[in-house]
Amino acid sequence: MSSRLCLIVDDSRIIRKVSRRIVEALGFDVDEAADGAEALTFCTGAMPDVILLDWNMPVMDGLTFLRRLRAMPDGGSPKVLFCTIETAVDRITEALAAGADDYVMKPFDGEILHAKFAEVGAV
Amino acid sequence: MSPEDFDRLQTLVATRTGNRLRRDRMNLAEHRLGPVARRAGFDSVDTMLATLWSKPVAGLAWDVIESQLNGETWFRRDREAFLTMSQELLPALSQARRGQTLRIWSAGCSTGQEAWSLAMCALDLNLDVEVVGSDLNRIALQKAHKGAYTGFEIQRGLAAGTMVRWFRPEGELWTADDTLKQVVRFERLNLLDTPSADDEAPRFDVIFCRHVLIGMEPAARALVLQGLERRLVDDGCLFLAPSENLNGESLAFRPVSGRRGLHVKSPTFLQDAA
Repeated sequence: MSSRLCLIVDDSRIIRKVSRRIVEALGFDVDEAADGAEALTFCTGAMPDVILLDWNMPVMDGLTFLRRLRAMPDGGSPKVLFCTIETAVDRITEALAAGADDYVMKPFDGEILHAKFAEVGAV
Repeated sequence: MSPEDFDRLQTLVATRTGNRLRRDRMNLAEHRLGPVARRAGFDSVDTMLATLWSKPVAGLAWDVIESQLNGETWFRRDREAFLTMSQELLPALSQARRGQTLRIWSAGCSTGQEAWSLAMCALDLNLDVEVVGSDLNRIALQKAHKGAYTGFEIQRGLAAGTMVRWFRPEGELWTADDTLKQVVRFERLNLLDTPSADDEAPRFDVIFCRHVLIGMEPAARALVLQGLERRLVDDGCLFLAPSENLNGESLAFRPVSGRRGLHVKSPTFLQDAA
């Protein structure tokens, strides 16, 4: 069985590293992007199965990326989990309305991410 | 804590709760006693235990016992069971009961996540429901009753959409909203206290009792199962954890094939009882 791919989009190298360790433990191959524009380029080449997405990033933020992704051919297929420090209810609602499958408030840990992956059917 | 202290603690916990503390987890037992000793004003766990053994006070004994129970839980734990509830059982039950209030029991609910999860399942289907969560641990029950969880707790098992629909942010915590609170209540109950056969209390349509039997001695398990049987309607369902098998130790229940953890009453047992 070919292994599945998760793209981690975050401008913090440390967050990417922490998330990578958790997601690899769930059996995914992992690639990284530092902003929305880089992530879009990545998705044009190879559509990942799951995307962990930060909100506030330079160049292109997470919400803009998500809307462009969902407009792409095949852009509906990846499970997208927002992972941000934003905890306001209207932010969460906005992200879900824009097509996010779930929303993770930082800080999070491996147990939370595992449960979230299960809830969206990614594991 | 000395090995003698551990032996007495093990006996105390086993007699009152049926749980067998594992000797290889003696450090954990001692670690869990630390906060109990502090709250009760003792300078160490050893002093507290010495006092308890010399003049047993029920209040302190229960504080000690309750601290030893494993209270780990999270929202929609073993989510398969909640899918079975939402997609199959609850729709079927509500049809069979024709609009009567469905009664669901989360037995051994600890901090309450399972009870809230069950209530959300039923309310999402617009069902009339009453959920009761019970546990021995009073500290866990207080938290369950408040229905307030940290960011870590609320996200463990709960999708964000469900979270914002049923919980309200209050400072650092997420608190169950009033619609949810109206259908859930919590009470302290020892599962070893089985109701008498002619107990008149209304029975439950569904019982969740998961990760509770696992730590218990065989005699206690039998007693708990007898109590669950008496509190469950004859066509009701019992959910154990997917990993928990009865292996024929109860005549009252049989597993439903293809649905891990799900049990119903045995037809032969029902005939015998009648």
